Amino acid sequence: MALIKVEDVTRIYNRGRPDEMIALHGLSFSIDQGAVAVLKGPSGSGKTSLLSLIGCMCRPTEGKIVVDGKDIVKLPERFLATIRRKKFGFIFQQFHLIKELTVFDNVLLPLYPTDISSKKMQQSANRILGKLRLTEKRRLKIKHLSGGEQQRVAIARALINDPMIIIADEPTAHLDAQLAEEFMGILSILHDEGRTIIIATHDPYIHEHPLVSMLISLRGGRLDGVTPP
Amino acid sequence: MTRHGKILEYALSSLLRRKYKSLVIIVAFMLTIAALSSVLFLTGSLKNEATLMLQEAPDIIVQRTMAGRHDLIPTGYAEEIKKIRGVGTVSPRYWGYYYDALVEANYTLLGAGSGTETLNLLAGRLPATNSECSLGAGVAELRGSGDSGELILVNSRNTGVLFTVSGIFQTASNLLTNDLVVLTDSALIDFFGFPPGQATDISVEVRNMSEVPTVAAKIRQMFPDTRPITRRELVRTYDMVFNWRSGMMLTVFCAAVISFCIMAWDKATGISAEEKQEIGILKAIGWDTSDVLALKCWEGLIIALSSFMLGITLGFVHIFFFDAFILAAVIKGWSVLFPVFDLTPHLNLFHIFIMGFLSVIPYMACTVLPTWKAAVADPETVMRG
Repeated sequence: MALIKVEDVTRIYNRGRPDEMIALHGLSFSIDQGAVAVLKGPSGSGKTSLLSLIGCMCRPTEGKIVVDGKDIVKLPERFLATIRRKKFGFIFQQFHLIKELTVFDNVLLPLYPTDISSKKMQQSANRILGKLRLTEKRRLKIKHLSGGEQQRVAIARALINDPMIIIADEPTAHLDAQLAEEFMGILSILHDEGRTIIIATHDPYIHEHPLVSMLISLRGGRLDGVTPP
Repeated sequence: MTRHGKILEYALSSLLRRKYKSLVIIVAFMLTIAALSSVLFLTGSLKNEATLMLQEAPDIIVQRTMAGRHDLIPTGYAEEIKKIRGVGTVSPRYWGYYYDALVEANYTLLGAGSGTETLNLLAGRLPATNSECSLGAGVAELRGSGDSGELILVNSRNTGVLFTVSGIFQTASNLLTNDLVVLTDSALIDFFGFPPGQATDISVEVRNMSEVPTVAAKIRQMFPDTRPITRRELVRTYDMVFNWRSGMMLTVFCAAVISFCIMAWDKATGISAEEKQEIGILKAIGWDTSDVLALKCWEGLIIALSSFMLGITLGFVHIFFFDAFILAAVIKGWSVLFPVFDLTPHLNLFHIFIMGFLSVIPYMACTVLPTWKAAVADPETVMRG
């Protein structure tokens, strides 16, 4: 069953201006619930643009994107924010953690604008930090953590809302082989929990990983192939 | 805890994270408010003191003028004024100013029959003989002449005169009696060397308040060399004097206000790349634009309100606990030659509200508007680092 449907999506930056750039040309595909989909392609192929569209961070110039039965293109900004918070967990390439905050506070960030009680927030954060072996680091500031630890904090923050979809942009770009393997191990657990995972990467290690169930190839903003079709 | 409660909690932690920057803003904001509130508290208190004092003033004071200057008035004028219809008590008043070179202060010397009946004595009694005097608390303190002490003043013939202190004053208004020395009328006439049949001015009571302007006009017509001053004119003059002085001070402080506004604007519009990125991260992980604006509103409100409250408190303490030692010389003007007097605390809530409205709201606008510009952008920018 398709959880995400991308229909004839085009994304144009700076439309009508001299520096207009077409990032994506009429893409159409769908991602099933529980899939581990990888967006692959060289730099500038449109992976991050597509990931942003699927993650409700912006709207396509043309076309339609349906997430869990909802057409997100016509939704007002506040509904997009709610969808981002409730359905998605984001792991950014540069982690995008707030360096002056502690591990614990960073993980809590997505829950502040919700009606969840402080007690429940802390319980959730403690549970996830335990799961990612970060309990002992919870009071440390981000700037005092290694790259691998920072990524685990980013994963913890992505999971705090118990999202159904995990989006990761170049997650292994700053990791060595051992940490990349560890990361895929964590994704494997998340996949076993029934979550849908979408990764944008040009790392062949991930492309060839047995966990990956779908490869979406992009080239010059166009679809270069979907495996399985 | 509600959503706003948690956003407030995060706003507090954000301010603590940027504690030095927050502290600089709070101190600058606080000092600006303290300066403005000091001027308003001081002028408000002085006007209040003056109003209290004038409540006891006669309905009309008749002064004689000579070449446009206040001159002594013949007491015979009082008999003629009494004949005007509607006029009640008419009394010549004997008073004058005395410069005490010993302590470099000005006193007001007043005859006991010149409106002293409304003054309350803290201790003792009014002078009964020509060798007695009653003193305001300021004079007593300045000259170390407590109850039953002595006071030596130099008369118009350059001769020292010894008075025995028979009482010390208290009234609702410290301004009224603080610099006062009360002698008997005859002692005062002798002390200043008044010519016979002359007084400083004449006080006139009018039975019907609505007739005060008519009576004043009649006096003016009857004695063209006089200047009848009604109580309403006195109140208006005091208001104008203090408003003018406070206006001058506020003009000077405008520079401080403008500097603060520039700093606030610079701080607010110059959202750092770090802050912009934080806004982007918050939006990307599910914060709505309104959540980000609420966060910045709380941050602005915490800074603005705490600075405002601290500034008001500092201004209050400066004026009423430290006797306005920074501003007194400008606002009180020549009266600084008086013995120092304590200001009665007087708060005008309207002034506080206006100050709050004109400082807190603009500061919050300076903080929130640039944030709004950053917050409405797509969080996609964060994805691109």
